[in-house]
Amino acid sequence: MDLLISSLSLGLLWSIMAIGVYLTFRILDIADMTAEGSFPLGAAITARQIVAGVNPWVATLSGFLAGCLAGLISGFMHTKLKIPALLTGILTLTGLYSVNLLIMGQSNISLLGRVKTVISLLPDMSTSSAAILIGVVVLALVIGLLVVFFNTEVGLAARAVGNNEEMSAANGINADNMKIIIYMISNGLIALAGSLMAQINGYADSSMGIGTIVIALAAIIIAEVLVANLSFGMRLVTIVGGAIIYRLIIALVLQWGVDPNNLRLFYALMLALFLSVPLLQKRIGQRRRRQKNIAEMEADQDD
Amino acid sequence: MTNALELRKLHQFFNQGTVNERHVLKGIDLKLAPGEFVAVIGGNGAGKSTLLNSIAGSLPVDQGQIKIEGEDVTYETVAKRARLIGRVFQDPQMGTAPLLTVEENLSLALLRGQKRNCWSFGVKKKQRQFLQEQLALLNLGLEDRLSAEIGLLSGGQRQAITLLMATLQNPALLLLDEHTAALDPQTSQIVMTLTAQLVAEKQLTTLMITHNMADALKFGNRLIMLDQGQIAIDVAGAEKAQLTVPDLLALFKHKSGQDLTDDRVLLS
Repeated sequence: MDLLISSLSLGLLWSIMAIGVYLTFRILDIADMTAEGSFPLGAAITARQIVAGVNPWVATLSGFLAGCLAGLISGFMHTKLKIPALLTGILTLTGLYSVNLLIMGQSNISLLGRVKTVISLLPDMSTSSAAILIGVVVLALVIGLLVVFFNTEVGLAARAVGNNEEMSAANGINADNMKIIIYMISNGLIALAGSLMAQINGYADSSMGIGTIVIALAAIIIAEVLVANLSFGMRLVTIVGGAIIYRLIIALVLQWGVDPNNLRLFYALMLALFLSVPLLQKRIGQRRRRQKNIAEMEADQDD
Repeated sequence: MTNALELRKLHQFFNQGTVNERHVLKGIDLKLAPGEFVAVIGGNGAGKSTLLNSIAGSLPVDQGQIKIEGEDVTYETVAKRARLIGRVFQDPQMGTAPLLTVEENLSLALLRGQKRNCWSFGVKKKQRQFLQEQLALLNLGLEDRLSAEIGLLSGGQRQAITLLMATLQNPALLLLDEHTAALDPQTSQIVMTLTAQLVAEKQLTTLMITHNMADALKFGNRLIMLDQGQIAIDVAGAEKAQLTVPDLLALFKHKSGQDLTDDRVLLS
């Protein structure tokens, strides 16, 4: 039961980050590595402010905005300077590593004790129930706003850019600006997840971003493999499910006694496996149809 | 009266400054009066696509000037000058966003040339009926398929919708880049007829590249033949109306001193 609750609370947080990654990954078809830097950036900004006594919600919001800024930088480099998307992400994430240390002044900040976090604002609840409550509320808000945004004039244009850039330009859409907007929202959400994660775990750490993109992609792929062809809003909801399932798998693996030091190897192997599932499914289907065909042809010959 | 399109001394070079340099457009001067429907023909490498891409903005201009309705657009991006231009590509996949619905695609086109904001929805309910009426004009039964993803439609259907999208906002200039070349003959004729109908109804100034000489003679009120980056033939009005394929070939031989030997042009 504990395992379920902790997986749920962490999975909800991961899904905010996975939704952020989904925007660049599926709308722009870019695996944006900036995620690995903006996640700890959100945590760093928030932790620093909370320690200084800033209202935790304000601190969380500034985490989100800092992430948007990181997205702006990556988006600018990718669109205006034409640097390949993968490199852009690596550049920003490398730079952010120093920036995060600068912000925190040390490699980690503890948020335990008397400081006010969004968790301690809900004093009558256990940490995991508070985390679940906050996760659900924030997710509902995020999904609702995203669905509305991507149906506005600008949002529709942004989707068109990801889908067919040439057509977008012919219809007067500035593709660069749309891409930058998506980069910003995406990294803002990833940083928001980092910010909440720091408050729930009780610390921000400069290395907490390692594996961000792998976790997020795994959640997305699980969602896509389990339920295919969904509308945008429903897809976001299933990503939440994907993230929780993924966290549950990890928790079970840890319980089996896998050394936590080996966890990232496990993340990578799992994602490689998930990414190959659609192909495997196709191959298996093909093979079945082929065998059926062979059997039918043989039966036909016998007649 | 201002010209709908004015090209002055337009030059394009490929690989400029290298041994592979090619002078693709050699000082094109062209004026289109409002409402003119011009068919552009020419062999492979004559510079037809280069000309169209230069006007649309997808190819930066090396030398010369481009004005649309009197506005100098020479150095504007594709997206910027889209306020004045409707465009249909040769590849039916290119003019629409496959994962968006028919309605979403049309709604995007409705906002061409306008500022897009975050406080109104991209697809507006009150426009639905208008869009349905427009689709009904195509006579392809698409008016009931507003919520279908465009990627699920056939090439001909997509091309017809692209044509509609390009003309919804009455562009100052309609560019058609061999827009029926990738379709089967029957669909090609349907789309061509639709084109003529839309152009006539909205009195659009149109520049249409085609490989099909019969189409070039049948449609439009002016015909231009490009040869080696220059305008070799330019006929309009009654003179154009009386022209036949053999006339055109003779004219070409007379002007350029050689036979028109491009199979793709002759056969179609």
